[in-house]
Amino acid sequence: MVKISVLQHAPSTHLPARPGDPTPTQRNLDPLMHPFARARERTRALNAAKMERMFAKPFVAALEGHVDAVEVLKRRPDSVTNVVSASWDGDIILHDLARRTHVSKVTSAHKGKISGLCWADENRVLSCGVDRNVKMWDMRPSSQVDESMVAGPSEQKPLNVFPGKSVFNSIDHHRSDPLFATASNIVQIWDETKSAPIMNLSFPTSTETITGVKFNLSESSVLASIGSDRTFTLYDIRTGKAERRIIMQMRSNSLSWSPTAPTSILLASEDHNLYTFDIRALDTPSQIYKAHVAAVMSCDWSPTGLEFVSGGWDRTVRIWKEGQGTHPEVYHTKRMQRVLATAFSADARFVLSGSDDGNVRVWKANASEKLGVITARERAAIEYRESLKDRWKMDSQVGKVSRSRHIPKPVYKAGELKRTMLEAQRVKEERRRKHTRSGESKPKAERKKIVVAEQS
Amino acid sequence: MDRLIAKADAIRPLQKKRSKGPPPHKKPKTEHTTHDPVVNSIASHTALPKSLRASSPLPEGTKTYSHIANKKLRSELNRQSAHAARSKALLKDAELLLNEDAGKMEVEGEMDRTWRVGQAEIAKQVGVEAAKGRREMVLDGGPYRSRYTRNGRHMAIVGRNGHVATFDWQTGTMHSELQLQETCRDITFLQDHSHYAVAQKKYVFIYDRDGVELHRLKSHIEPTRLEFLPYHWLLVSIGNPGYLKYQDTSTGQLVIEHRTKLGACNTMTQNQHNAVIHLGHQNGTVTLWTPNLPHPAVQLLAHMGPVSSVSVDPSTGGRYMATAGEDGIVKVWDCRNWKGAVREWAARGGTAELDWSQRGFLGVASGGTVNVYSKPSIHTPFAAPAQPPLYLTHPIPHRPLSSVRFCPYQDILTIGHSSGLSTILVPGAGEPNFDSAEADPFENSKARREREVKALLDKIQPDMITLNPEFVGSMAPPSKLTPGEEIPFARLPRFQRLQVQGKADETELLSDAEAGEGDEEAGEGKKVDREEREKRKMRGKGKSLKRYLRKQRKNVIDPKAVAIREKLTKEREARQKARDAEKGASQEPKSAALDRFKRPS
Repeated sequence: MVKISVLQHAPSTHLPARPGDPTPTQRNLDPLMHPFARARERTRALNAAKMERMFAKPFVAALEGHVDAVEVLKRRPDSVTNVVSASWDGDIILHDLARRTHVSKVTSAHKGKISGLCWADENRVLSCGVDRNVKMWDMRPSSQVDESMVAGPSEQKPLNVFPGKSVFNSIDHHRSDPLFATASNIVQIWDETKSAPIMNLSFPTSTETITGVKFNLSESSVLASIGSDRTFTLYDIRTGKAERRIIMQMRSNSLSWSPTAPTSILLASEDHNLYTFDIRALDTPSQIYKAHVAAVMSCDWSPTGLEFVSGGWDRTVRIWKEGQGTHPEVYHTKRMQRVLATAFSADARFVLSGSDDGNVRVWKANASEKLGVITARERAAIEYRESLKDRWKMDSQVGKVSRSRHIPKPVYKAGELKRTMLEAQRVKEERRRKHTRSGESKPKAERKKIVVAEQS
Repeated sequence: MDRLIAKADAIRPLQKKRSKGPPPHKKPKTEHTTHDPVVNSIASHTALPKSLRASSPLPEGTKTYSHIANKKLRSELNRQSAHAARSKALLKDAELLLNEDAGKMEVEGEMDRTWRVGQAEIAKQVGVEAAKGRREMVLDGGPYRSRYTRNGRHMAIVGRNGHVATFDWQTGTMHSELQLQETCRDITFLQDHSHYAVAQKKYVFIYDRDGVELHRLKSHIEPTRLEFLPYHWLLVSIGNPGYLKYQDTSTGQLVIEHRTKLGACNTMTQNQHNAVIHLGHQNGTVTLWTPNLPHPAVQLLAHMGPVSSVSVDPSTGGRYMATAGEDGIVKVWDCRNWKGAVREWAARGGTAELDWSQRGFLGVASGGTVNVYSKPSIHTPFAAPAQPPLYLTHPIPHRPLSSVRFCPYQDILTIGHSSGLSTILVPGAGEPNFDSAEADPFENSKARREREVKALLDKIQPDMITLNPEFVGSMAPPSKLTPGEEIPFARLPRFQRLQVQGKADETELLSDAEAGEGDEEAGEGKKVDREEREKRKMRGKGKSLKRYLRKQRKNVIDPKAVAIREKLTKEREARQKARDAEKGASQEPKSAALDRFKRPS
């Protein structure tokens, strides 16, 4: 006797019970049922990488209003949309990013260019310029300001004026106290209520011009400055002393404290690189960021502390991941000139750049991000594509698509030239090592070459 | 600032060496962690919420990377391995979803044989609905060939004299019926039942579901056999001129044509798991082709005389191939090792037609019968040319039998012959649990359209076809830098640079070496290995200073090194002993009578 059964698929389990119901699906995870699963996944990953490049339209808007180069950009504390900018013609404009309008504007705030700007609180802005004054402004739109305070929108009066002795290069406000620091040939600490500086800070034997100054965000009495003598200096305003300083190969143009790692600071250097330093170990930078092909003029951290943006003399804006020293996202347009100021928006989704051509441009921080409402299915698809790209990033084709960027020809050529020169230097160095006694020693690490001297 | 630095010591810089000693202002650790308000305030916000933490303990054998110094990398690798282990464990649970059982024929008595059961008895026992699979189609213009779609729902038949029909065989809906009135040699569906290709007298023609001629592929001349590679969207044809042609059906391009140089060919099949085309030739050779090789990837002399049929086993991932020749022999080959057939036997009645079902049943149609063989016996090597135990047999009086085809996801075998087609029931031949994402017999038109679009997006490029489909995403082969060439330090790969600096993580290499040690025969091989290693080591090895230093090192007696060396030798001896014991105690020398006078050594 033989037991016989034949395979039968019951239609009742595989067809929708009622018309309009979704058709039931069935899974069998046996790998033999899924031939070429890996090759197909790779194809999907490649498509995902290509789609990301297709959707990469980072430019959002250009905010007009300035007639000369924009050198400073500062986002307003406790606001996602408001950003204040100042230019070389002496104007200060408070922009609304969402509406792309001016909230308020101060014309001819300073004679000559405005070199520094910072928020004293939600409404007041401190500005400094080459006319040797620090001025405090109320940036509320004129309808909200008392009539007695203001004469008219055209000739706004500053709330306060702090006269100085020399040209100011930078200004920064204390996180909590009514204090601010200015950078001229020395660092000065001012009280908002007093018209003369309360403290003068400088490293002994220093005769340089200080070009930038920033308070630490966490330990708010710590102050960092950069100077024209290729220096980076740390001060403590409680002791009133310069604590330590380093001298580097080239001078820095901009500095920014990390918002999440309090001991980490970012320097934008004249030698085309950016450096992060851990201030506990100033002899070597913790990371070198190399991609710009001209001096880096400005830098700013994302509020998350995972990314930062830099703008360069090479007319590009670059967005870097913290700890990843190459292959930044690069933004450029035909009409954008030297980028002198960059800022991240408070929600970390947008990046602002102020350039020589007098425009403030708004970019997406993630170039291929879709703005607007995203449905759950779309979100799921986007996340799946992201994970595919991450899993297959080592594949040569997928990696190439997601890595490669189109950059303007002058930038490309400059990069090529730079590569050639560095390669020639490297070869020469290698040959020298090979044929001299010093060849026995290992080559000096790139990171050890940055800092020339450490003083304290 | 000192406070800042002290506070930040919870996260020390990674690059800084620990040996440098603690910074001067570091407070005792316990006080630091318990009373630091900053850390306490952050902890509640930065910890992973309970709902997202993995509740179950990690499965056994999860790999940990405790030897990696970089914390970030270590935690990332640990996270990945935990995720992989968890999903592997979950795969087992997914088997619970496979709720349909395969068909089967089981004997109860010892003397019973499954092949004694005829079709009439099977049809009687399995019930009316399942018995519908057994049918006879009497048609003129034979011999007929047939083909199923990948989901087994639709069927296409073609008669030698030009009768072509496609239909849904379950509901009996006819899609198209054509009388082409010229010789037709083969038919195949394209991605699904909406298109099919017919190998006609001079060219290949593509028709849509309703039988409207869409394309005449003039580059395919006198085709004899057709195959469609569904994941690559390639229509493959071979013909009397002996050219193997790949046509991309999504772009319309003729991707490549290979001159086989082996004359007219009328035997072709595909390996579903690596999309390699198997051809059987007139001189008895079987060749395996991929688009990116101008010559066959494998060529073997399978038969004395022309090859009549080739088939590849889908149930083992394309590991076995069966061939039948005009010499009346059926052979089963192992595709990983071509040295001789695994099994061969003489089919009764000469030339045979072969097909392998999804679950590994081999159908052989020869003479006037169809024989079906089941799985373990046809794969087991057997020296004598004897027929493997028969699973099922069915006589068909209409000679010649021109094709056999198993229906996917059904226990049905279709045989084409001179007076039409007959389908028989083969219990256990079809895969019971289909995957809706791959092939669904019950899909509606919307699902079909969606699948078509998705399949187009996932189309694999033709040059990705190789014998081993798993090469995608595997490690790249080691670079072919010549060892004699001096590579500057800055140009070395990172790992070698670390090795030179003495910072490389050698633990994995060591563990690999230990695993491989068991195979190594003697110390001789190991010594060579070390020499080679030294030879391959960095430049500057032969410099006088280095040489001098090495010599110095030889003479230094470091107690630590000595202890380690002793320990290693002890371990090696123990291993050797264990190995000897494994080999058998018989190897121990017999104690001789004079052994008692031996001096204790």
